[in-house]
Amino acid sequence: MTTNGKTYTAIIRVQRFNPEVDQKPHMQEFSVEATADTTILDALHTVKHSQDGSLTFRRSCRHAICGSCAMNVNGKNILVCKTPLRSSLDKRSRVTIRPLPYLPIIKDLVVDRSTFWKEYQRVRPWLIPPTETPEKEFRMSPAEVEALQNAETCIMCGACYSACQVVAMNKTYIGPHALLKAFLRVLDPRDAAPAERLEDVGGEDGVFRCHTIFNCIDACPKGLNPTQAIETLRKLAQKRQAFEADRLERQKTIAAPVVETAPGD
Amino acid sequence: MYTSTGFISFFLRRFTGVALVLYLGLHMWVIGSVNAGPEVFDARLAAVQTPIFKFLEILLLAAVVYHAFDGIRLLIVHYFKVTEYRKSLFYAAFAVAAILTIAGGIPILLFMLNG
Amino acid sequence: MRIFQMQRYTAIALLVFLTIHMIVVHYPPFHIDFSRIIDRMSQPLWKAIDIAFLFAVVMHGLTGAYMVLTDLQGVYRYRKALAWAAVVIGLFAFYYGTITILAFQPPAPVTGMIP
Repeated sequence: MTTNGKTYTAIIRVQRFNPEVDQKPHMQEFSVEATADTTILDALHTVKHSQDGSLTFRRSCRHAICGSCAMNVNGKNILVCKTPLRSSLDKRSRVTIRPLPYLPIIKDLVVDRSTFWKEYQRVRPWLIPPTETPEKEFRMSPAEVEALQNAETCIMCGACYSACQVVAMNKTYIGPHALLKAFLRVLDPRDAAPAERLEDVGGEDGVFRCHTIFNCIDACPKGLNPTQAIETLRKLAQKRQAFEADRLERQKTIAAPVVETAPGD
Repeated sequence: MYTSTGFISFFLRRFTGVALVLYLGLHMWVIGSVNAGPEVFDARLAAVQTPIFKFLEILLLAAVVYHAFDGIRLLIVHYFKVTEYRKSLFYAAFAVAAILTIAGGIPILLFMLNG
Repeated sequence: MRIFQMQRYTAIALLVFLTIHMIVVHYPPFHIDFSRIIDRMSQPLWKAIDIAFLFAVVMHGLTGAYMVLTDLQGVYRYRKALAWAAVVIGLFAFYYGTITILAFQPPAPVTGMIP
């Protein structure tokens, strides 16, 4: 870690809640010495390792790929492992850290993500391949792959789900995370069940409950766009028979070379 | 509460929507008095032309215009890929609504003050 | 899906109707003139436009109210009952509004209007 050695003091305000002793959550302040490189996660580690070992939070990879460390910092959902501490401080050098909102708190900054995972499972986020698999490989055009890039990058951190006002009001809503995954599978030309998927997400708990509040886009640490995915699913859900017919046509040539990718063109 | 321009837009849209539904009930009660004869109708219509109701009419205009333009914003978001401009679209809708409320509200205000 | 489509189509219809309404009813003279209302509402064309306007407003408003209520987890359980309630209220409101619109007659020559 390269720094010029200069340190500064930051005040970390963390929400604490120990169900064994506390009636309700309360804020606690810790003072840490930080350098220009310190991330919010580093600061939390400093508190845990040298000041209060009972501070509890989830983290794993430390480089924005596992999705464990999503928390609410200064009112916004972010990944704390990739957010510099310095730029999150207010005028009084304080940063306020709370767990992801609208979800039950297990302890301190750890929340119960059961509904998040339940909805993810519900949309069957795996590929349902056609019954006849090609001898060699599935062939997709660059344009078809491009359409999936955005949704594939999701790390399932929960920032979007927890920021969504519709989720906040009603946990039966499927949620932006799962709908983005459903979008990924619906648009995948290898997937053989688009009409079923569209019927499921087009039902009363799915894409038509989104009120385009856009909190999901604001919260996503990977810059993904669940709202646009949901809008696309809305359009497709209204003409799912036609979409399924197109898919069946496409799958007739899914093993054939794609003309646009011929080298040298 | 997770506050953002999207949330404010959503909340105001809902609030004005509910207010307008309640207004509709009142409006139907007033206009519906024509079924009870011209005297009742005239009396009720006169009652809602008083200054206090004229002021409320300006608020009604604000609610209608905000709800309509936020709704137009939603239609644009639904039919075009404009999520990148979501904040600007919200500010634009709000600004248009504010301008129309002032433009439409001034004549009402003048009438209210001059009788 | 049907609810979403309903809101979208009635919203577009309302944008048209509301524009007509604002111009015809609230354009100068800005205050509501009883004789103007009676004259206009006696004509079959305006009765038809207003009945269609009423239909769109009742649909949009009740569907919206249904959405606002059922978005809450506590209320969501009772959505079937709420849907039926909305249908009943809607039918009644549309019926009452339509007979009111149809009831407008030009005033008899000797009736004096109470201002």
